[in-house]
Amino acid sequence: MSDVAAMTGATVTRATLRRNFWGSVWRVLLRKPSRLLGVVLMLGFAFMGSIGPMLYDRPLPRDPSVQFASPSLRHPFGTDFQGTDVFSLLVIGSRYVLLTALITAVVSVLLGTAVGLVAGFRRGALDAVLMRITDVNLTIPGLPLLLVLSTVWEFSGAWEMGLVLGLLGWGGLARAVRSQTLSLRERGFVEAARGLGLPNRHIVGRELLPPIAPYIAMNALMSLIVAVYAQVGLFFLGVMPVIGENWGVMLNRAVFDFGAMTTPARLPYMLAPLLAILLLTIAIVLVVDAMDEVFNPRLRVE
Amino acid sequence: MKGIARRLAGHLARGLVMIWVVLTFTFVIVSIMPGDPVQAEYELLLQQGHSPQQAEAQTAMLHRFRPTGSVLEQYLEYMGSLLRLDLGQSVVTRVDVSTILGEATRWTVIPVLIGTVLSFVLGVLIGVYAAIKRSGKLGDALTLSGSLLRGLPDFVVALILAAIFATLWPVLPRSGAVNILYEPGFNLDYILSLGQHAILPIATYAISSYGGWILAMKSSVVTVLGDDFILAAELRGMKRSVIFRYIARNAILPLFTIFALSIAALFSGAIFVERIFNYPGLGMLLINSIGRRDITVMTGAFLLITAAVIVANIVADMFYTVIDPRVRRAGDAA
Repeated sequence: MSDVAAMTGATVTRATLRRNFWGSVWRVLLRKPSRLLGVVLMLGFAFMGSIGPMLYDRPLPRDPSVQFASPSLRHPFGTDFQGTDVFSLLVIGSRYVLLTALITAVVSVLLGTAVGLVAGFRRGALDAVLMRITDVNLTIPGLPLLLVLSTVWEFSGAWEMGLVLGLLGWGGLARAVRSQTLSLRERGFVEAARGLGLPNRHIVGRELLPPIAPYIAMNALMSLIVAVYAQVGLFFLGVMPVIGENWGVMLNRAVFDFGAMTTPARLPYMLAPLLAILLLTIAIVLVVDAMDEVFNPRLRVE
Repeated sequence: MKGIARRLAGHLARGLVMIWVVLTFTFVIVSIMPGDPVQAEYELLLQQGHSPQQAEAQTAMLHRFRPTGSVLEQYLEYMGSLLRLDLGQSVVTRVDVSTILGEATRWTVIPVLIGTVLSFVLGVLIGVYAAIKRSGKLGDALTLSGSLLRGLPDFVVALILAAIFATLWPVLPRSGAVNILYEPGFNLDYILSLGQHAILPIATYAISSYGGWILAMKSSVVTVLGDDFILAAELRGMKRSVIFRYIARNAILPLFTIFALSIAALFSGAIFVERIFNYPGLGMLLINSIGRRDITVMTGAFLLITAAVIVANIVADMFYTVIDPRVRRAGDAA
């Protein structure tokens, strides 16, 4: 009987906690309307990448008579060198960009968290080895490495690109997770768990991971931005084949092939992908700002 | 002092290991490169009637890669020539790679340094202000501008600057390092032209790294503000300017570690900036050599950029050790 009471009690507290959590999320969002804007923009981009490309018939209509048209109601960002609507190119290109960013974030977060947790929890020789590898990962500049790598391997597919960028980008998170693990493992509750004889898997997964999880989540969002920049940058530089549909290819064509920088009339063609990148950055920064305050109540200025 | 020496030795050892990793990586890349350029050169020389020994010596002299022999032999020879700092000759122009690299390095290092110093000074000053006024509207806005700008990649900044100052309102040159009409040398026209061409790249470096400084300085100042010694100074009735000096001195310390990361980031960013402004630095060299499959120049530029970043990291850490007595003592005790 008392068991049942304890269990229902536990479920009630958990439900209340959850309600309190969403309540505080809502309050944090409302305190600065800009954060609400961030969430809306994020949802917008998610829609653009997932559903957006299905709304267009392929191949996209071309109209050679209106090359490089200036922005109008019909073509919000004008048209490109074939008379194709730039906005539709942007929407179609967003799928590759966002999918790649997502894969990168998943790979780098999984690797970084795993390495950081293991190194911080096990310490000793394994820690030393893992941290040396992390140092190498952090120190060797990624972009030159990718450029050189591109001479032997065309990693332009979404999965390959995401994997490569993720493999290069986990070092910072690993180091941060390790240092937090090192300080957490000395706390009373971890000692208690160890004293109870709980297995290591439980201690790492159930005791150490949850307090670090908010930090990891924010890091995942920031790594989305980094991944977008890296892949758009690679296509923009022209070391990846300038084919396919994504924002980097658009930028490369606009700047290096079609003189967007020398002819003011062709600027919208270049500015469209830039604007998309800017908006995506703003959205993520605003959401991270809101998350920071939800998870760090000390930051709140009531 | 012993602590510092030991720390330096440790860093140097780690730096060497990293450089070895990079060297091995480049060796692997060049060996598996499609259409093996070294082999191609070797066979071309054979066809031109050179004897195998001659052809092999000639190819090795050009590329630092032996066309024949086992992989291990090739690897050892490659490492050996790089240890002698012998980078070979450009496959395309037959100029010594070290000469080409030296030429390109100035065009990267000088703008990057000027840009870094500019953004450091600006970022630190604004960061202190944002920390002190952190509950106000302006402080908030400055912080947000910092997090947005830190996020922005160099190529976006460079393209926006170019669109504004070279296309829409054409006041600055968009391409090249100097107007070729002017004779190189110490004359006013030439120097002015150099300066004009450098403005946009330098501004790009400064703008894209200054957000990081603001945020770092702000959080550092906020931490120091809560320290006991600041409270004690306030209670002793010290002047605000003196207290400000206490804060600034202690808060600026952690920023030196970011300095290295910033330089590293800018070296990567230079690739975009130089490509966009057609500036003849290391980044441009790397891109062009990749385009032409000029493997000796490509590996040379890549090695130089990575080595510079690795050295910058070591220097920053050592500098931090020397100026912060706390780290120094911790090192001595260990």
